[in-house]
Amino acid sequence: MISTASADMCCARTACLALAGGGGNSQKLTTAGHEKGVAQAAGLSRATTTSTGAVTLFAASAYADDKADKVYIKVTNTEAARYVLVSIGSTAVGRLYAGDWALIPWDGTGDFKYTPGQSDSTTVEYMMFHEG
Amino acid sequence: MATTATITLTSADIAGDPVNVSKTATCTKAGTTTDLDQTTGVNRVHLRNATNKVLLAANAEGDNLAAKVYIINKATDASLYLTVTINAQTVGKLYAGDWMFIPWSQTDTSASIEVAATNWTASTGDIPVEYALFHEDTDFLTNA
Repeated sequence: MISTASADMCCARTACLALAGGGGNSQKLTTAGHEKGVAQAAGLSRATTTSTGAVTLFAASAYADDKADKVYIKVTNTEAARYVLVSIGSTAVGRLYAGDWALIPWDGTGDFKYTPGQSDSTTVEYMMFHEG
Repeated sequence: MATTATITLTSADIAGDPVNVSKTATCTKAGTTTDLDQTTGVNRVHLRNATNKVLLAANAEGDNLAAKVYIINKATDASLYLTVTINAQTVGKLYAGDWMFIPWSQTDTSASIEVAATNWTASTGDIPVEYALFHEDTDFLTNA
């Protein structure tokens, strides 16, 4: 199977015209060290929380280490103050606020988690392209 | 002027039905609708070391502020990758052509973003890397 999963990013701002030039950057999501496309996906999912407890989206034990997995995650809320803290293992990566998305490489050595910053209803959409 | 980032994820054959996700985020300061107003601009470095190097030095003043990091591996050899690390935790690997766009919480000075050309050797050639930071931390430059 040859996957054609791809990700494009366009970032528009005067200060980063190089990123916007040519319509952005496109990457073909390939397996580690090869030009063959990744063949597996955890499809687009949605989760809503009403507490500040950590949520494990992808457990490291279920995926091989040192692969070229990519995680897409987006906070769908519109209230500006809503956020989730994305973590890998016990390390905080960063906060995603309402409307923010991220495309994060993940090598499967630590659980991929997020922690809502509030107990108000917070909704996250996510998916992963992976090698198993 | 707002900073916006748009992602399009597409695949015609990774599942029974096509995948086509397109989302745009307006990068704002933490907890507000005010636009992020600072950036490092796009930088380019050549990695030629298999050990971790600090790409962006964390500044504790940036904790709980909004920041977004963009990194792309500009190598063309599919086998060449860079490993991205925060606080001794490997985040992931970027292979040739791969990019990432992630939030960054500078929880403390150990939270620097480090990169390594993990399988680099003198014969593989350098790994060109481009990166940019969009942020609101006014102290960033004094600590970078």
